Amino acid sequence: MKKLLVLILALVLVSSVFAGCAKEPEATEAPVDEAPVDEAPVDEATEAPVEEVEGYQIAMITDAGEIDDKSFNQGTWEGIQAFAKDNGKTFKYYKPTEVSDAAYLAAIDLAIQGGAEVVVTPGFLFEPAIYEAQDLYPETSFIILDGTPHTADYSTFRIESNVYSIFYAEQQAGFLAGYAAVKDGYTKLGFMGGMAVPAVVRFGYGFVQGAEYAAVEMGLDSVEIKYHYTGDFSATPKNQTTAATWYADGTEVIFACGGKVGNSVMAAADAAGAKVIGVDVDQSAESETVITSAMKQLGVSVYMGLEGFYAGEFKGGVSETLDITVDGVGLPFASSRFNTFSEADYNAIYDALVADTDGLRSSLLGDTDVDAATDIPTTVVTVTIVE
Amino acid sequence: MDILAFLIQQTMFFSIPLLVVALGGMFSERSGVVNIALEGIMIMGAFVSMMAISVLQDTMQGQGLLLIALSVAALAGMAFSLLHAYASINMKADQVISGTALNMFAPAFAIFVARTVQETHTKDINFTNTFRIESVPVLGKIPVIGPWLFQNAYITTYIGIAILIISAILLYKTKFGLRLRACGEHPQAADSVGVNVYKIRYAGVLISGALAGIGGLIFVIPTSTNFSATVSGYGFLALAVLIFGQWKPKRILFAAFFFGFMKTISAAYSGIPALKDLDISSGIYKMIPYIITLFVLAISSKNSQSPKAAGIPYDVGKR
Repeated sequence: MKKLLVLILALVLVSSVFAGCAKEPEATEAPVDEAPVDEAPVDEATEAPVEEVEGYQIAMITDAGEIDDKSFNQGTWEGIQAFAKDNGKTFKYYKPTEVSDAAYLAAIDLAIQGGAEVVVTPGFLFEPAIYEAQDLYPETSFIILDGTPHTADYSTFRIESNVYSIFYAEQQAGFLAGYAAVKDGYTKLGFMGGMAVPAVVRFGYGFVQGAEYAAVEMGLDSVEIKYHYTGDFSATPKNQTTAATWYADGTEVIFACGGKVGNSVMAAADAAGAKVIGVDVDQSAESETVITSAMKQLGVSVYMGLEGFYAGEFKGGVSETLDITVDGVGLPFASSRFNTFSEADYNAIYDALVADTDGLRSSLLGDTDVDAATDIPTTVVTVTIVE
Repeated sequence: MDILAFLIQQTMFFSIPLLVVALGGMFSERSGVVNIALEGIMIMGAFVSMMAISVLQDTMQGQGLLLIALSVAALAGMAFSLLHAYASINMKADQVISGTALNMFAPAFAIFVARTVQETHTKDINFTNTFRIESVPVLGKIPVIGPWLFQNAYITTYIGIAILIISAILLYKTKFGLRLRACGEHPQAADSVGVNVYKIRYAGVLISGALAGIGGLIFVIPTSTNFSATVSGYGFLALAVLIFGQWKPKRILFAAFFFGFMKTISAAYSGIPALKDLDISSGIYKMIPYIITLFVLAISSKNSQSPKAAGIPYDVGKR
């Protein structure tokens, strides 16, 4: 009996090895279909014909996290997918074995071996890896989001002609969210960031300044903001309890700015009958409690970057900050759940930012301008940092 | 809202999953099988039951659905723990390695299957929380106790307490409990009087699988709006609770609530005026449960109550 069992197990093992071999060629063309995004499959007929090429022309290396993180990786990936489908390019994503410069470089190498003409890397964690890669692979072009190449110790910054670096003006998205929240009648706000990485800090500072701007405009007496970094990007009872405590303490809306932290905040908001502001992408579908989301248009910018590359106008050697003037950031007004904040109000503040009325846009403080959220000069808003 | 009532309500979200999972670990270890796979089993239980919820929630909501999900979680946990039982009881494998294997397998499996099965092709399984009880009829209106225990609650809280009581009775007042404990202390002696050690150990591991699976679901429901293949290390925390609780139900109850309460304080102190004014770093609150665990282990390790045969595969020939 036991021998029979062993024999069967051995057979299963062997056959699975062969099955693995047999599947290999099929698997390499798979990611297009497997692509985990909420998007209806594009009709075959509308797709541009795929050129006869070896390998995958557009490669993406994932940052820490999964390809469907509803944030950075997914936004980037959607941009690549959309571009490749419109232009008949082949594309694939590579997941590094771990979060380290060496593993990122290895993944980049793998992508280039796989035929990549352009490699897209989302996230500032890639900065040192791209610094190395720009010299190692001069024939390949790189698009790095939220970062610019430099050495690991930040001593040397250098960007070669095969690298296009994109930053986002998160403080403007945060500003819009803070402004909209106060304009909509909320005076007790909260900010729960993930880790204090530059992008999250910019969101937070912008949020404070937006609330302040609206409060001054409306002549309010006081607006309170609790300000906290959770130290993780996950949904935990801890984050739920922190949010629930704030809600119980009177906080009306929390700007949840840290991936899955948002889900814990939504759970708390649901129980408390309070509100949440989402981040990065439109999160209104995740919960009824989400009144709006501070978005940055990852997909659009990746699309434009790739478009430039294939049109022979690659912005190599350029480090660019995409802001509101190029629709790089914004709120999804159509899916927002505001009480009184109207589309006209939104367009007014949006236009004011674009036009830089009274230096509104150019005077917004970013992550490096002040040391802490409490250092942002405010007259109405009081910021309380919660450690 | 009354701050104390609020804190107690929040503590339940931390403590009940810890309690249930630690009790699961207790059954396994008291039968002689070390089960560090609790984390993986929690993930598996939560994953399968969340899938069930996401499929069923269009047709049914509320407590009925939650009860179904809990049974699904228990079954999934049992099925998954069978792997551990087979490896460590029949194959006499190293139980720590077998447990580690399950811990590594579970999240990968959950992500893979969720992406394959779901129409959206994402690893996150969304659910609508229709399970929260604003106030339990009648009981919720009792002064003092009502807001503490019967408002803003989940049915899982009461199930967790019931599991505790049943576990204590099962372990100390039944023939099965005596045999289970005997197999964990001296399986050869148990065998010599006709107890089937393999069967008892299988039972121990299966119970732990069922409870850990339930614990996984209890963990996710109040704290998120979706499940994304993680329980944030609470399975390992439950192991700490188990050891802190010295493998005894009553002490595990105490340990789970102590851990839960300290975690609540560290997350909630910013909203509690009395604690905010103390101006103590939240790091201190976060450290306390672990420091006390180390302290208790340091002074109690000499006469530790850990089952003597836990972790040692049963070998009939050994005396």
